[in-house]
Amino acid sequence: MTTGIEIIGVGLTKSAEKWEMGLLDIAIRAAGKALEDAQSESPDAVVVANAFGGALGDQQNLALHLASGLGCCPVETYCVACDDASGGAAVRLACALISSGMHQTVLVVGAEKTSDALPDMLETVRASGLDAGREASFGFSPTIAGALGMQQYLNVYGLDKALFFHIAKVAHEHGATNRNAIFRWPLDEAQYLKSPIVATPLSVCDTAPPCDGAAAVILRKSKNGSGHIRILGGANVSRKRGIVHPITELTLPAATESAAMALKEAGCDVADMSLLELHDSNAFLAALSIEAVGLAKPGEALHRAADGDFSKDGKAPLWTFGGHKSRGLAPGASGLYQVVEAVLNLRGDAQRNQVPSATKALVQCLGSFGAQAVTHILG
Amino acid sequence: MQIAKSWRQQPSNLRLEGTRCTRCDRLEFPAVIRCSACGCTEFEICQLSGKGEVVVATTVFEAARDFGEHVPYSAAIVKLAEGIHLAAMITDVEPRDVYVGMKVEMVTRRIAAQGDKGPILYAYKFAPLLMP
Repeated sequence: MTTGIEIIGVGLTKSAEKWEMGLLDIAIRAAGKALEDAQSESPDAVVVANAFGGALGDQQNLALHLASGLGCCPVETYCVACDDASGGAAVRLACALISSGMHQTVLVVGAEKTSDALPDMLETVRASGLDAGREASFGFSPTIAGALGMQQYLNVYGLDKALFFHIAKVAHEHGATNRNAIFRWPLDEAQYLKSPIVATPLSVCDTAPPCDGAAAVILRKSKNGSGHIRILGGANVSRKRGIVHPITELTLPAATESAAMALKEAGCDVADMSLLELHDSNAFLAALSIEAVGLAKPGEALHRAADGDFSKDGKAPLWTFGGHKSRGLAPGASGLYQVVEAVLNLRGDAQRNQVPSATKALVQCLGSFGAQAVTHILG
Repeated sequence: MQIAKSWRQQPSNLRLEGTRCTRCDRLEFPAVIRCSACGCTEFEICQLSGKGEVVVATTVFEAARDFGEHVPYSAAIVKLAEGIHLAAMITDVEPRDVYVGMKVEMVTRRIAAQGDKGPILYAYKFAPLLMP
């Protein structure tokens, strides 16, 4: 379905606590940059990924308000809210709109404003992406689920907690050179080990910092010889909900299936990828994602990270701009950040975050603790 | 936790009531209105034993809103005798003393309160099994 779609413009804002800007302003900023980058006329559809705007008491139906603010009305607008998978799902919807022939040029914007909420309120809202009746209502959140998963991972594979340092290390190594990242410093093991515990054994350094941010892309049907980066494959897979399966089985079936389907559509293998952007809202999901897409065997993700496989000059460069861990996690926008960062690398515009000779990228975001996975192959 | 929602969930929260599909015998918790395996809409109400064991546990130091009063608390995945897994708090024991394989049983406890004047949710937690 996605074959034959190209990305003609990208834009993003710095991930930060943007006290001076509201949700709509942030979205307009990123969308404006993408429109300038594409030197494009007004899109004929606008799709917005925003996970928690309404729940956090901010703007609902953001797509309409964004289109109005951009001055591109009348236009068809849609909002996508799929927890942390919103960004990937919005791109997928835009591809469907173009492939079906309904629209020619679609603006896709992911935006989130988390800093106006107090941390415990934000955790409550983020928990609403889980099973509201059986998990969130009982004091469980993505962070607590990540802690349980991490403990199970250590128990089952007989590993030392310190090995998880290598997940955060890769992200910080790459985020240090990203001027749009919220954490721009390399992380050393001593810092990691003394990081405050949120829920045993998971510490602050094992979680991505919530932040404000927006990222945008403009898609259209491919034109021969345009030279733009194309979407070569895509898949959006939802599986049975609940935190129990990832924690007890240590697998993410939706992530595995989504990646396999997208790679099949693109006609390539994970080994063909020059870089990957996977979901790292916490270190446990990061490790499972690495294993789910085939970069490591079960129980070996941390060892592969320690071996340097995921560094910029490694076998499979990962989180090339710092991932959610170092760049920052703006939940509804996170999937769009991944796409924009991959496009910058494939265009050769990634500056100090450039992966040499990058030709293909896999981007994958997860929603509801991995029950939903959206993957795209770019090249 | 709105009052109506709390009331609606009483059978599962206070009595661990699930459903068993009359066509394919699938046991589900909480109760469902359509079998996720075969699509059947007829069920027998089935009360779970409430006995199980800890699969994995964590001690929570930073909680979501309405759960701060419990910090630090033990949160766990519990596998019930019927094979159902539940995410639940462990109570009546220090969090550091909770261990994998610990035998536990369902007890009814205060889960959360919405501010000083809001409704209080009572539901299941799990405590160390007193009488094996």
